[in-house]
Amino acid sequence: MVALEEEARRVTLATLAEIAQTSADTIRGGQRLREDLGMDSLQSLELLSTIGEALKIDLDIEEAMGIQTVDDACAFVTRKYKEQKADGSAVRG
Amino acid sequence: MAAPCAVDLQPVGGELVDLLLPNVRRFLATEVDGSAIDEASHIPLSVRKGFAELGLFGMTVPEEFGGAGFSLWDACRVIAEIARVDRSVGIMLGLHAGLGSRGLVEWGSPEFQAVWLPRIAVGECITAFGATEAGAGSDLMAIRTTGRLVDANSLRIDGEKSYVTNGGFANLFTLLVRTPGIGGDRGHTLVAIPADTPGISIGKEEHKLGIRGSSTVTVAFEDVVVPMSNVLGRPGEGMELAYRLLAWGRTLMSAGCAGAAQGALDATVQYVGERKQFGQAIGNFTATRAHVAWMAARTYAMRALIHETADIQAHGNSIEIASAVAKVFCSEGAFEAFDRAIQLHGAVGFLESTGVARGLRDCRITRIFEGANDVLLLRIGAATLGVRRVLDVSCVPALREASTRVVAFDELLHREMGDLRKRLGVMAVRRQLVLQRVARAEICVRAAAAALSQASDTEMDIGLARHVATTLIEEGTQWLAELGRAERDEATATELSSMIYGA
Repeated sequence: MVALEEEARRVTLATLAEIAQTSADTIRGGQRLREDLGMDSLQSLELLSTIGEALKIDLDIEEAMGIQTVDDACAFVTRKYKEQKADGSAVRG
Repeated sequence: MAAPCAVDLQPVGGELVDLLLPNVRRFLATEVDGSAIDEASHIPLSVRKGFAELGLFGMTVPEEFGGAGFSLWDACRVIAEIARVDRSVGIMLGLHAGLGSRGLVEWGSPEFQAVWLPRIAVGECITAFGATEAGAGSDLMAIRTTGRLVDANSLRIDGEKSYVTNGGFANLFTLLVRTPGIGGDRGHTLVAIPADTPGISIGKEEHKLGIRGSSTVTVAFEDVVVPMSNVLGRPGEGMELAYRLLAWGRTLMSAGCAGAAQGALDATVQYVGERKQFGQAIGNFTATRAHVAWMAARTYAMRALIHETADIQAHGNSIEIASAVAKVFCSEGAFEAFDRAIQLHGAVGFLESTGVARGLRDCRITRIFEGANDVLLLRIGAATLGVRRVLDVSCVPALREASTRVVAFDELLHREMGDLRKRLGVMAVRRQLVLQRVARAEICVRAAAAALSQASDTEMDIGLARHVATTLIEEGTQWLAELGRAERDEATATELSSMIYGA
């Protein structure tokens, strides 16, 4: 389980760093996607769709719209990754 | 036939704006010649002086600084009235009252406000806004103009801003700049820069398709040093503040579109009452009446949407999506209103002397600037998928049936959204035709609901609200049907464009 959490967090931060054009080392959990990283709502969804693709998981758009911080994104992705790994569900088409 | 037809909404607004508007109308009728402004590609100084004397440049400046302290809705009413006569002048004032000065009013430091807001209030200072750059249009994250700390108290700005409205004569610029290392690694900051600061150079006026009287220039900033007290809001939070400013500005711009559409209707009603063919005024033909009814009903819905947006803002809530909905609906509606106006004028409408040709040219840019409609549709679509909102409809008994239809369509739309959420999840963000068609359906239902919810029980209001709600729900239903064909259309577009680009 710890390995899953680490992988989900690593992929989330790496993708975030790429989209926000910054280094993963400089990203902190409390940073807000919009105010601190300059990402608008579409870019936040683009981030999550890229993460979902990388981890082969489905992410709900309603929950995704509520994400505000880096920690929110990591927690959301980690929870979905663990749930879907556990029940073996696949990515939507 | 009476002319011109007036379908102005007069919802509750400030008393001061009610007193001001007749003076504005008088000034516009006697001092603003839209055709001459277009031909000269210049707004005469006398117009700016007159606006200053009327207090228009200070209409949204707080009263404590000598302004009128107008709400967003009050300001929208003024802009609509001006744009009804001339769009270049409307754009000049709308940009000033919106993107140009709003940041200073909302987030300026006390010392900066104390110096500049009284000057803005009396019209001594006209403002401009710079966010767009050669490589950064809708993608604001791509801006390269940068602010770096010189010392703890000052910031040095370097870069170039494109398409700066009012830039040729503005006294003060509000700029969105990157400030790496200030307020975060990826920080952006809003900063106000007086135009006479050393290092600023103003480019030549752009030659444009429309709104030719408005000033549009490139402004370069080289080693421009300003004190930190010029920063608007907190350093590093400029992107968030820019989004809020853009929402405010888009609402004012939407009001300009509604005013312009009213201008198209005014000209059309007058013309079709005078022009005779086959022995009678062409306004008597049903085909003509259908165009006129469409124009009047759309204009009514535009104003209702703008009023609703301003009301949301007045209650302290975000208008990011509401303003985008209003902007897309109003900019497209105004353009079509002028297209129909030209059609009803016949060949004479193609001549510049009628003014409707100029109106069409002037309207075209509003589908592009302050957020290209194509991109705004994606944001609206994503928000519609992700967040359920509540719609108000009419309590007027005569509109009950129309309201029931709107509510039923809204339910249908949200069932479709539920299916899409299940099927696509966040991957929906990559399906641009899906998002745009969702947005189109959402705009239809929001505009229909706004028109119904704000209709009074007068015969005119009931007729216009019912007509626009009915046609919008029919359009919305078509967009939902198009949604089912999005996958096919995306595949076709990809296949064909690959061949075309490769040819």
